[in-house]
Amino acid sequence: MSDVLRVDAREKVTGKARYGADRTPEGLLHAAFATATIARGRIVEVDTAESEALAGVVSVTTRFGEDELGPPSFVMGGGYGTQSLQPLRGDRIAHRGQPIALVLAENPVVANHAAELITATYEPEAHASHLDADQAETLLQREAIPIPFADDLTFGDAETDMAAAQTVVDATYEHPAQNATPLELLSAVVQWHEDRLLIHEGTQNAGALRNGLARQLNLDPQQIEVRSRYLGGAFGQRNAQHPYLAPLVLAARRAGRPVKLVLTRQQTFHQASFRPQTRHRITLGADATGRMTAAVHEIDQQTSRHDLFPGGYAKVTSRLYGIPSYRSRQRLVRNDIQTPGYVRAPFEQPGVWAFESAVDELAARVGADPVAFRLANDTSHDPVSGLPFSSRHLGECLRRGAQAFGWEQRPLAPGDWTDDEGNRIGWGVAVGAYPANVTPARARVRVEPDGTVLVETDGHEMGQGLTSAVTSLVTRELGIPAEQVRVRLGDTRVGAQPLTAGSWGTASTLPAVQAALEQLKAGESGAEAGNGLPTALADRAANGLVAAAGPVYGEFAAFSFIAHFVEVRLERVTGRIRVPRVLSVADCGRVANRVTAASQVRGGVVWGLGAALREHLVTDPRLGGFLNASLEEYPISVNADICAIDVDFVDRPDPLLNSSGVKGLGEVAMVGVAPAVTNAIWHATGQRLRKLPITIADLPAGGRRPPSGPSTGGSRPTG
Amino acid sequence: MYPFEYRRASTLEQALRMSADLAPAAFLAGGTTLYDLMKLGVERPVTVIDVNRIPELSHLRLSRSALVIGSGVRMSDLADAREVRESFPIIREALLAGATAQIRNMASIGGNLLQRTRCTYFRGTHPCNKRVPGSGCSAREGIDEGQAVLGGSEHCTAVYPGDLATALLALDAAVDVLGPDGARSLALADLHRAPGDRPEQDHTLRPGELITAVRVPATRMRQAYTKLRPRESYSFAWASAAVTLSLHPDTATIEQSRVVLGGLATRPWRVRAVEDWLHGRPLVEAVALEAGRLALRDAEAGRHKAFRIDLGTRAVADALLRAGEQHE
Repeated sequence: MSDVLRVDAREKVTGKARYGADRTPEGLLHAAFATATIARGRIVEVDTAESEALAGVVSVTTRFGEDELGPPSFVMGGGYGTQSLQPLRGDRIAHRGQPIALVLAENPVVANHAAELITATYEPEAHASHLDADQAETLLQREAIPIPFADDLTFGDAETDMAAAQTVVDATYEHPAQNATPLELLSAVVQWHEDRLLIHEGTQNAGALRNGLARQLNLDPQQIEVRSRYLGGAFGQRNAQHPYLAPLVLAARRAGRPVKLVLTRQQTFHQASFRPQTRHRITLGADATGRMTAAVHEIDQQTSRHDLFPGGYAKVTSRLYGIPSYRSRQRLVRNDIQTPGYVRAPFEQPGVWAFESAVDELAARVGADPVAFRLANDTSHDPVSGLPFSSRHLGECLRRGAQAFGWEQRPLAPGDWTDDEGNRIGWGVAVGAYPANVTPARARVRVEPDGTVLVETDGHEMGQGLTSAVTSLVTRELGIPAEQVRVRLGDTRVGAQPLTAGSWGTASTLPAVQAALEQLKAGESGAEAGNGLPTALADRAANGLVAAAGPVYGEFAAFSFIAHFVEVRLERVTGRIRVPRVLSVADCGRVANRVTAASQVRGGVVWGLGAALREHLVTDPRLGGFLNASLEEYPISVNADICAIDVDFVDRPDPLLNSSGVKGLGEVAMVGVAPAVTNAIWHATGQRLRKLPITIADLPAGGRRPPSGPSTGGSRPTG
Repeated sequence: MYPFEYRRASTLEQALRMSADLAPAAFLAGGTTLYDLMKLGVERPVTVIDVNRIPELSHLRLSRSALVIGSGVRMSDLADAREVRESFPIIREALLAGATAQIRNMASIGGNLLQRTRCTYFRGTHPCNKRVPGSGCSAREGIDEGQAVLGGSEHCTAVYPGDLATALLALDAAVDVLGPDGARSLALADLHRAPGDRPEQDHTLRPGELITAVRVPATRMRQAYTKLRPRESYSFAWASAAVTLSLHPDTATIEQSRVVLGGLATRPWRVRAVEDWLHGRPLVEAVALEAGRLALRDAEAGRHKAFRIDLGTRAVADALLRAGEQHE
């Protein structure tokens, strides 16, 4: 059967798809926040008089009682919130842009105008906004968070093996803070019906919203219903309960009317989580034969003053190769910022960029071709657990990619390849990996009287194509057309809706749907099944807590893998950096839906290119906050920056991880793109640039002059 | 966003009368900058006068001597106009290098010329002499990587970002203006002003004056516009350069040239010294690069903006070389 296309494409392109903030219940009030204009300190007084006098303003609230607005909880500390800081509950200002007053008004224009009229006096305090700031506080992660999850990874004897190594690379890499910038602004519509609460919000974690609100507002979770049918991008920024939600619910209860909040873009930058700034020191050793023998990965990562956001960089860099000795050391650096968090490939993008850059440096140092060097250091076993990988086709990703890219044409030496116009050419490669985690999910399937098959399941449709993947599975299993399949998800009426993240959505939901379909095929007219994870995990998930199994399971370790090949061209006169083509070959087990899978990879590559060449949050250390907090000034890539991206899949079912044979794809897609770009820039110029983003400003112009006679420049490769 | 009054004018006379009667007022064309700045509280007109329905402002006429562009013509329409494609390719190049397709469909030529200078702090809530005169300049000791390297003062280094004005200056264009004191015409070179001690004032128009048209003298000069920026669309220039030039038919040396820097100065920045230096020289890469260096000779590197001096050099060199490659 041919692939199911994206089943919600028509709804989306015709504007029929309704997102959280598209709801306009009768009697709707509109909310807006006034926000702090200092980076750290105490509020002395908030002046709301002018704001309250404005026609159409219903209420202005600067402080909720600690008894009605309970303390928040941090999702990485066993709770539900994006951070443990609850604005409007005290007088502390923890970061620039923190809400200091909540306005309700009859329309959004009045609400925003009223918020602008609110002023405050503060007692400011010295603050820190980056890794090297005076006021920053540096903690050893394993001491600050003494649980196995946050511990350093150590195996073998990295120090001894490093000392014995023939060739050593020791380099430090600087990765900037970045923002996910989902197109859909953070927003919610909240509505009370008697003592029942209905939340419409685009979230990856309806279960956390339900349970987090219940805990903070002293409600029974059963009173709360959360619906998240679509998300206009999430990328981790919508993975927990935002601090705006509980105050909004309280304000709606006081007003006795439904309330809608849409944060401004500036506020989305200043209230939501972001990818923290990191610094990576990588030390790699190789023996005389070009085998890597030891690796050390030391990380400094930003966190907020009020939360410890644990870094997990070593989980993947320790497993890219069969390096026998490895040691990581993770430190957290406290800054006066909102708590940073998960952004697509949260640790893997920065960590693997640094690690794969160092690997490339080492390959060059020993005189090896970078593809051959990586193949020579491949492994079938997880060096951390000693267990076999459930499946690992990284070698095939590299070989297949090299073949299709035309890798054999690549000169080994850097800085020596130009095209007919004198533009410098560089080719780079890098690999990526991402843990195959799974979260509990349940599914119900039912045949409706009209023959439609209704699937109700856990999981959130973030645009990654989960609905299409489920539909594909049902059409394949039951032999019915996609039009006859209906999928409901992201809704607490049909499931507990635990967090969809970490590339585990498809791999968690499909096995549950598959199990239910088996029952259906056995003759039942309706069936319900889970995905087989242990009860203890399922109970956590049912209560809205993060509950993930893997990547080490009893008998094996499971990861997705990818190899990226990148060509850069540096324009001779201007130095402009162009990326005419990228080729990515992924090992994500069985490909659940080829259309959405390829789209996922292209999206990951686009983001990886932006992360390497453009994206960074700009902070003025005197002021805190972010200066480029708009889509205009935060330079995500545009179409004109992106050229050919070819995608290929190994497409072999994982035999061990689950019945569907699928592994995650969304996150691994981005991992390794940035180092493939920077390795290509090295190949074009001979320069190792160890700070992202790399822009035209970092590269001197001028390749070789175009040849005056017949062309001797590099052939224009086709791919 | 605060409440304001919206009026629509159907004739030029009506627009001027409204502007006088309902001050402080602002003329509204595409609204792509004005509304933006109003939402940020940077511009605060009490009345907005819509001039989009005034027929005279949307004309486009090419005569033997000049191209006359109504100030209400949309960026996208001008870029696509046959007259521009055939006779003024640099205008099309500069227009398409600006903003996004959606903004170009809305934004007018007059509004484009009058877009405010840019500085990260101007649009924020931090001290800014341009937004609140006398409040200080946050950029001076702050992140200045996007600030002007030429034409700044101690009060302000906000950069003039327009691509179109940069190209039009290389074409020696003029603007027609109508105001309370009647009609006048001024050289485009005299429209924008450096901040000096009045950074809140970007241009030389008098209160109530409206740009009605832009006049571009006919030319047979070769022309090119190069823009270097953080991304290839929806991004202001780190550095740009507009070049028009003619070559001696026999020696292929440069006869006449105009070299204008964009995105680097507080206003469109013509560098006549470079034009003089280029006279009689062959258009080869070494000359182009030296011209670029000369163009930026007086630039200030500030705290973080030295790279833009280098990019300006490259932009000038690239525009010169590309202009030279064109057929006359």
